[in-house]
Amino acid sequence: MAEYEQVKTCYGQILVELGERNPDIFVIEADLMKASGSAPFLERFADRHINVGVAEQNLVGVAAGLAAAGRIPFACTMANFISQRSCDQVAMSVSYNKLPVKLIGCYAGITQEKNGGTHISIMDLAVMRCLPYMTVIAPGDCREFSQAVAAAADIDGPVYIRMPKLLPKDIFCGASEQFFPGKAYQLAAGDDAAIISTGLASGLAREAAELLADDGIHVRVLHLPTLKPVDEDAVAACARETGRIITVEDHGVYGGLGSLVSEITAARCPVPVSMLGMRDTFGLTADLDFQLDYFGLTPGHIRSTVKQLMNIAS
Amino acid sequence: MTYDALASIARDIRITTFRSIAHAGGGHFGGSLSIAEILAVLYFSEMTVYPEQPDDPRRDRFILSKGHAGPALYTALALRGYFPVEQLKLIDVPLSPYPKHVDRLKLKGIEASTGPLGQGLSIGCGMAISFKQQRLENRVYVLMGDGECDSGQGWEAAMACAKYKLDNLTLIIDRNKCQIDGFCDDIMPIEPLGSKYEAFGWYALQTDGHDVQAISEACSEARRTIGKPTVIIADTVKGRGVSFMEGQAIWHSGQVSESQLAEGLAQLEEMSHG
Repeated sequence: MAEYEQVKTCYGQILVELGERNPDIFVIEADLMKASGSAPFLERFADRHINVGVAEQNLVGVAAGLAAAGRIPFACTMANFISQRSCDQVAMSVSYNKLPVKLIGCYAGITQEKNGGTHISIMDLAVMRCLPYMTVIAPGDCREFSQAVAAAADIDGPVYIRMPKLLPKDIFCGASEQFFPGKAYQLAAGDDAAIISTGLASGLAREAAELLADDGIHVRVLHLPTLKPVDEDAVAACARETGRIITVEDHGVYGGLGSLVSEITAARCPVPVSMLGMRDTFGLTADLDFQLDYFGLTPGHIRSTVKQLMNIAS
Repeated sequence: MTYDALASIARDIRITTFRSIAHAGGGHFGGSLSIAEILAVLYFSEMTVYPEQPDDPRRDRFILSKGHAGPALYTALALRGYFPVEQLKLIDVPLSPYPKHVDRLKLKGIEASTGPLGQGLSIGCGMAISFKQQRLENRVYVLMGDGECDSGQGWEAAMACAKYKLDNLTLIIDRNKCQIDGFCDDIMPIEPLGSKYEAFGWYALQTDGHDVQAISEACSEARRTIGKPTVIIADTVKGRGVSFMEGQAIWHSGQVSESQLAEGLAQLEEMSHG
């Protein structure tokens, strides 16, 4: 299994770097600084670090006001809070106003682990993807996360970045891939099938491809860190060149990556799409390994699903 | 500007707003007519604004948190010279810069798009934090309805404004005592409103919301208040100036007949000359 790192360490570091470069960077918290890791920014730039307490709607509104005053606010709270409790504020104060607020959904997806179903976000990507002007990013590893945060500061519009508690250290195996918003990344080459993944799942997809290679099956792995605007051509090429797609996400398949890929293939190149993710269910109280197994997201599950789609007995 | 002149502008805002909403085929008469004096004081006396260069960074910011009173704000902006008054005929016309609820992307001079109630004070809080952090003199004004005070986000924002000592922010509450479904006292009692804000760390003032001098003096007092935000609870009458609308929750939103339009205009004209 991949080696995981705490993403909050990256968040604190990159915020300080951004804060040093740009006096307009603000950080807004809602009593979850310890989860987000923004304390180094507070230590360095106390007058640009705002904590509104347990008040997620105000968190987003204050960030909108800062953006309207010309600043670049990074507002962070847990992914399900920012996409659910403050959904209206994100939709109206941020998106409808087309303000460059950077929304960070921390402890996203099943990396909430034992906090369980009340805290595991299963619809944050779906909600954010629906909102006009919103850029939606689910980085696949720690380095990409930092690059996405830096890139978000330069995007003239609202951005949502999914920030799991844990991410693999490196899913590119040392290749110095630079994150660009909207770009898809091929993690493995092959034409037997395509695995399209996002966020935490991309490291698992890559491992599945290695298992399948041992079986003589060569799958393409396409990592989609940016779900909106999405690299439609890369997705369509997967459909056209492999004929079958498996999507993998630690998120509900409704409205998430599975839906997104299906929307593209339905319009451009209809092929069977098998969706791995959470289906009409909430998360549960369990560690990461248990969750991955329970929701069928392990490399082994992905391998089996590819074989099923290829009508090959496991 | 003299108080008489401000009062005269308020009357112009009220008449033109009434006519404009009627022309648009109906709308939020009650809560638009109740804020004419507040808008007159803010845009013609209290705030620093640059109608010819609406984006001038030195401007003060006004957020109409009760976004449904858009026609009253459009009228104040037009009379202040942001755009020709004739444009008010385009209120609610599809794709015009003057939708029912104000939209900052469509019209220069609108600082925040609002509609769903309860969001404006948070936005104002963020703006005021920004100005304070840069040690700028800009002031922020937020206008909320009293029914809007039911919403939780407004109180989240109230706490944050006090925490960050936003004495560059003034909140005005259009205390017209009606909300959509009836009287505030029946739907959701909010008194003692001033004491609530005081308990949240604010300086609270209560004033006659139809007396331009009283509103001006309250705004001046807010300017002099150091270390905390000020709320001005402006006692107003919903549908002010049109007898069949005054104090009637049903006129939160509606349409007027030809005869009601004539009657309302006659009363408002008489008010102007009286």
